[in-house]
Amino acid sequence: MRAAGRRVPALLALVSAALIVTDTITPLEPLRAFGSAVYGGLEDAAAAGVRWASGAHRLERLERENARLRAELLAARGARPSPARADGYEVVPAHVIGFSRDGTVTIDAGSDRGVARDMTVFDGDGLVGRVLRAGPGTATVQLATASGASIGARLAGSREVGLVTGVPERGLLRLSLLNPSAEVRPGDRVVTLGSRDMRPYAPDVPIGTVIAVEPAPDALTKTALVRPFARLTALDLVTVVLGPLPDAADPAVDAPEDTGKSHSGKEKKD
Amino acid sequence: MTAVVASVLVVLFGPVLQAAVVSGLPLPGGGPDIVLIAVIALAPVLRPGAGALLGFAAGLAADIAPPADHTIGRLALVLCLAGWVCARAGADGTAGRRAAVAAAVALAATLAGGVLAALLDGTPWRAALAPGAIAWTTGLAALVSAVLAVLPRRRTFGRVPRSRDARPGRRRLA
Repeated sequence: MRAAGRRVPALLALVSAALIVTDTITPLEPLRAFGSAVYGGLEDAAAAGVRWASGAHRLERLERENARLRAELLAARGARPSPARADGYEVVPAHVIGFSRDGTVTIDAGSDRGVARDMTVFDGDGLVGRVLRAGPGTATVQLATASGASIGARLAGSREVGLVTGVPERGLLRLSLLNPSAEVRPGDRVVTLGSRDMRPYAPDVPIGTVIAVEPAPDALTKTALVRPFARLTALDLVTVVLGPLPDAADPAVDAPEDTGKSHSGKEKKD
Repeated sequence: MTAVVASVLVVLFGPVLQAAVVSGLPLPGGGPDIVLIAVIALAPVLRPGAGALLGFAAGLAADIAPPADHTIGRLALVLCLAGWVCARAGADGTAGRRAAVAAAVALAATLAGGVLAALLDGTPWRAALAPGAIAWTTGLAALVSAVLAVLPRRRTFGRVPRSRDARPGRRRLA
């Protein structure tokens, strides 16, 4: 019987090792989807219960309006100094309901509200990250400071292009400029470069400010440390960019001005 | 029976509590690992096989519960071994001894988990082996185990001790 006492743990350890190997070769997405469905729902319920108990339930309407206004503000802010089009986004508000040491957070909006992978997430201060995977009612967001994150970025003033990567142990970001002779000094603002269809990152979302220029290890790139605008350890209400507004997506069509409705940051009706 | 219910509760709500509450707290140097602490606290009243199963299930739950984004099986492996070791050490002995065992297992499991995180998922070593998280987990595991070692004696005070308590040297079978 002594052997039986060792057989179960040995078997389970082997199963764990097999899971690790399998997940390394081919990611076990069905298992993660199952986890999202079960534990996402529980986290959502726990967070909703806490919010309801604290009386924040009535603020839901205001939060939605807030998310719309934030997107509007961001679009207006980005439109001025940028040659890129930032006509406004279709957005959905969400709460951050779970944190992890993997540089990720859970939000309480999932595929049922149109959230899908590689969508931009920001809050009132600046960029938060991108959606990594979306479950039915929740989604996992990779923070900008995660070790695996890399974001196309620009210096807001000089429009120099670079790449922002995470420095998770310090909660900071590292900006690598493609042009080694680019001028960069502490206090410079860094914004996202943006991609087609605003995925994974919408253009001109503020990321952070340069706090220190690092001594160049070689003459090929110039790197600087960036402090993110968003307080990534104390996130609450965030906004997910679903995509460009339907009427802004096709600039060739000269649609008549939609009276009574804002062009920027119109909220998705669900 | 109570142990089974407690195990199910740990597996179901441990990861939720960790993600929704503990990891969001502004604790210096990273927060404690609640799931690991719960497994270490509960495993001593289980048989070694059951302790390993509890650790495996709780670890797998923590591996797949959002927003986890690491290799599945990483925590299952570490917690399975931690649960097995704690179950073998048993619920006997003084509060001090149980706290020492819990602290040793918590420290070893956190370090092993950190090494696996760095090797499998490319987490920077300084983030994987954050001293704050190690200190929180080890300290809380020792504290919870010491409290649990003291509490049941008060509850069973004056009653007929259960067979487990009557024969402290007996090795339980899985």
